[in-house]
Amino acid sequence: MQKNKFTGKRANQAIFFSLFRLMSYLVVGILFCIIGFIVIRGIGVINWEFLTSAPKDGMTKGGIFPAIIGTFYLVIGSMLVAFPIGVMSGIYMNEYATNKHIVRVIRVMTNNLGGIPSIVFGLFGMSLFVNKLHFGDSLLAGSFTLGLLALPLIIRVTEEALKAIPDTYRQGSLALGATKLTTIRRVILPAAFPNVMTGLILSIGRVSGETAPILFTAAAYFLPHLPTSVFDQVMALPYHLYVIATSGTDLEATRPMAYGTAIVLIAIVLIMNLLANLLRRRFSK
Amino acid sequence: MKLEAKNVNFFYGDFHALKDINMQIDSNSVTAFIGPSGCGKSTFLRLFNRMNDLIDGTHLDGECIVGGQNIYDKSVSVDELRKTVGMVFQKPNPFPKSIFENVAYGLRVNGVKDKKIIAETVEKSLKQAALWEEVKDKLKKSAFELSGGQQQRLCIARALAISPSVLLMDEPASALDPISTSKIEELIFELKHDYTVVIVTHNMQQAARVSDKTGFFMLGELIEFNDTKKIFLSPDKEQTQNYITGRFG
Repeated sequence: MQKNKFTGKRANQAIFFSLFRLMSYLVVGILFCIIGFIVIRGIGVINWEFLTSAPKDGMTKGGIFPAIIGTFYLVIGSMLVAFPIGVMSGIYMNEYATNKHIVRVIRVMTNNLGGIPSIVFGLFGMSLFVNKLHFGDSLLAGSFTLGLLALPLIIRVTEEALKAIPDTYRQGSLALGATKLTTIRRVILPAAFPNVMTGLILSIGRVSGETAPILFTAAAYFLPHLPTSVFDQVMALPYHLYVIATSGTDLEATRPMAYGTAIVLIAIVLIMNLLANLLRRRFSK
Repeated sequence: MKLEAKNVNFFYGDFHALKDINMQIDSNSVTAFIGPSGCGKSTFLRLFNRMNDLIDGTHLDGECIVGGQNIYDKSVSVDELRKTVGMVFQKPNPFPKSIFENVAYGLRVNGVKDKKIIAETVEKSLKQAALWEEVKDKLKKSAFELSGGQQQRLCIARALAISPSVLLMDEPASALDPISTSKIEELIFELKHDYTVVIVTHNMQQAARVSDKTGFFMLGELIEFNDTKKIFLSPDKEQTQNYITGRFG
């Protein structure tokens, strides 16, 4: 029997394709495993009381309401810090800067900023905002620290969003006697808005899950009431999760509550990512 | 409004794109620029509303005069100039806004707030651009729902809305089908009653049909500039003759 000399190669191809496919399915599988694991262990504690009341009895009972609200405040605060700065520098880099060299330096620096481990942001935030500027351990110090962390992402997304706007829009507007600023405000930014919002939402997802930056700057171990000013400490979901998983009075008893907290945290991040995707799809039509 | 170029030399970096060009363009006329690709005709057109300013590393010697004023003088505001010298681009480039807002844009950015004036001007401009009948019932729809030819007429309406004196058109019909093209050509013919129109075109029949005068460019030089009839029937220069007959085989 004569052997077909082409079969060998094809078999080889098939093996590798299968391998690649298997690996990509594995990633999806891992995600489902993590979520499934956490949901199974934590879903039992999720109820209305858990979401709306403060921890009780040395954090072995009660809920996580102050942590949810604290994370919510931190997200808003950090976005108030990062969004204006990030969008403005993105606009400068894509619309105004004429010196390509400077833009490249800024971009490299921005990426480097994004590569700094978040615990370092925490340390820096503590020494600058908490101590030097006397914000104390506070919502304010935490917001600034998280804001710095989110900055690179927002700058990059803004720059990409602006880059995607065709030059013909700019020319069309300038040719009608509009100034550059008017062109940016009335044509470029509205067109780039959905993508910029996508970046904002993604960074909200990122910020709400960060623990290290708020560890020394904002997070309270236990705080049964809600913050009343920006100089108050706050509880936050990721830090609360860490606390009840490692240093409670009865670790075994509070384990389900830790998983419950994780469910809430993951839900927030997933919803944010979903929202970002929806927004992008809706406006890219 | 008259246009004039005096000893114009233009450079992209080291590349000498326009070589010592002198030209006078009459008001209320249609002037066509023809020539092979890369001959500098579009570059020359864009000098008159200073769109070349947007390109880094360009440099101009000589004078471009619009209505008696050298527009490259330091005292000239580019934004004001572009309100007087409007432009229509090669590819239709409506904004991602409604049909109405596209035409209203020029008014709004120039500080017109009166809704009645805006609505009237939008209607008038769309009528001038021969688009009103086709869009009057869907002014709030996105401009992207229009066909390419309609979009280009929308861009013409947008340019007309701020009442310029000069209209520069950079191959305005090259991306359009024949029917849309003939509509644009009819429009250009109408526009010269009120505007000084300068059009760059690759299509020589188009130049012959719509223009009063024609300039033939080659390798950055203005080879010949004369009445369109003269250029197409008995050009003075051999290069012009070759270009025109070559195209028609």
